[in-house]
Amino acid sequence: MRIIKLNNRIKKRFIFLLIIFACFSASIFLISYSLKDQIAYFVEPTDLKSMDGIENKYLRVGGLVKTNSLKFLDGNWVFEVVDQNQNSVNVVFSKTLPNLVEENKGIIVEGKFIDNIFVAEIVLAKHDENYMPQSAIDKLKEEGKWRGN
Amino acid sequence: MFAITPNILSSFMNSLSRYVILLSLILISVSIFLIIFLENDYYQGISFKIMFIHVPTAWLSLAIFLVMGISSIVALIFKSPTAFTVARSLSPIGLIMSIIVLVTGSVWGNLTWGAYWVWDARLTSMLILAFIYLGHILLLYSFEHFQKADFAASVLAIIGLVNLPIVKFSVDWWTTLHQESSVFRIGGPSMTNDYLITLLVSFFGIFMLTIFWFSNIFYIIVEKRKIERSKLLND
Repeated sequence: MRIIKLNNRIKKRFIFLLIIFACFSASIFLISYSLKDQIAYFVEPTDLKSMDGIENKYLRVGGLVKTNSLKFLDGNWVFEVVDQNQNSVNVVFSKTLPNLVEENKGIIVEGKFIDNIFVAEIVLAKHDENYMPQSAIDKLKEEGKWRGN
Repeated sequence: MFAITPNILSSFMNSLSRYVILLSLILISVSIFLIIFLENDYYQGISFKIMFIHVPTAWLSLAIFLVMGISSIVALIFKSPTAFTVARSLSPIGLIMSIIVLVTGSVWGNLTWGAYWVWDARLTSMLILAFIYLGHILLLYSFEHFQKADFAASVLAIIGLVNLPIVKFSVDWWTTLHQESSVFRIGGPSMTNDYLITLLVSFFGIFMLTIFWFSNIFYIIVEKRKIERSKLLND
C-alpha cells in the first residue's frame, strides 16, 4: 500500500478551513442557544405557569383541543387547549376555524390573555407526522389497537 | 483518486445518462400512477398527497447541499478542478429543488394549517437554505475569472453547511408549526407501508432526474471551457 504523505500546504489549508468552520458553527450555536425562546414558535399551557406578566402580552399557545370542549356560543368559538400535563387554557375565537381543527387534534392559537381567557386572533391547525388511510384505522380498531378518537 | 479530470467524469456520466433518464421516467410515471390510486389520509384528506413531491424534493435539496459542501471542501484543500465543477453544477438544481419545497409546502400549509407562511424554525431555515443557493449562484457569476468565482462560492458552500443540521433538526430542537419527520425517526416510519413505498418510488424517480440534470449541466460547463480554451489558443 502506498502511503499518502500529506504535503504541508494541503495540511495548512485543511486546518484553516477547519478553524473557519468551527468558529462559524460555534457562533451560530451561541446565537440560536441565546435566542431559543424567540425561535420556539409556541409555548404550552404548562410553560405559562412559570411565566410572569402574561396578561396583555401577545403569545402563541399550542396543544390539543380538549375533548368535548369545542362549542359555538354567541357567534364565538369556545374551546380549551390542553397539553400532556393536563394543564389547559380557555380560548375564545370569533372568526372561522381552519378545516382541520377537531377535538383531540393539534392546534396553535395566537392572541392575548384578557381576564384569564385567551382571546385568539389567529388559529392554526397543527397536524402530526402520522399518515394513515381510513381502512388501516378500521383494521386497527377491529384488532383493538387504535388509541386515537 | 484525484486523477479524475472533469473530462473523464463528464464522458463517464454521459455514457450512463440515457439509462438514468429512462429509469427516472419509469419511476416517476409509476409514482404518479401510485399517487392517483392511493387512499386518502384519514385526517388531512387528499391534501396530504402533496407530500409525495414535497418530501423527496426536501430530502434532495438537503442532500445536494451536503454534496456541494463536501466537494467544496475537497476542492479547496486539494485544488481539484473536478470538485469545483461538481459544486458549480449542483447549485442551480438545489435552488430549483428548494423553491419547489417552499411552494408545495405553502400550498399544503394553506390547506391544512390555514396559513401560507409562518416564521417558525423549519420554514425560516429552509428559506435561508434557498437564499444560500441563490447567493452561491450569484457569486459564481460575479467574477471575471472562473477560478476566483469557484473559490468564493466554495467558501460560501462550506459556511452554509452549518445550516443543514438546523434545517433537519429544527423540528426536534424547537417547537414548530411544522410536523416532525415521518420517515427518519426513532421507532420507524409513522406511515403505512403503501404510503412509504409510494414516497420512496417518487424519491428515486426525482433523484434519478436530478442525476441526469446534473450530468447535463456538468457536460455543458466542460464543453464551454473547451471552446473558450481553443479560442484563446487560436487568437
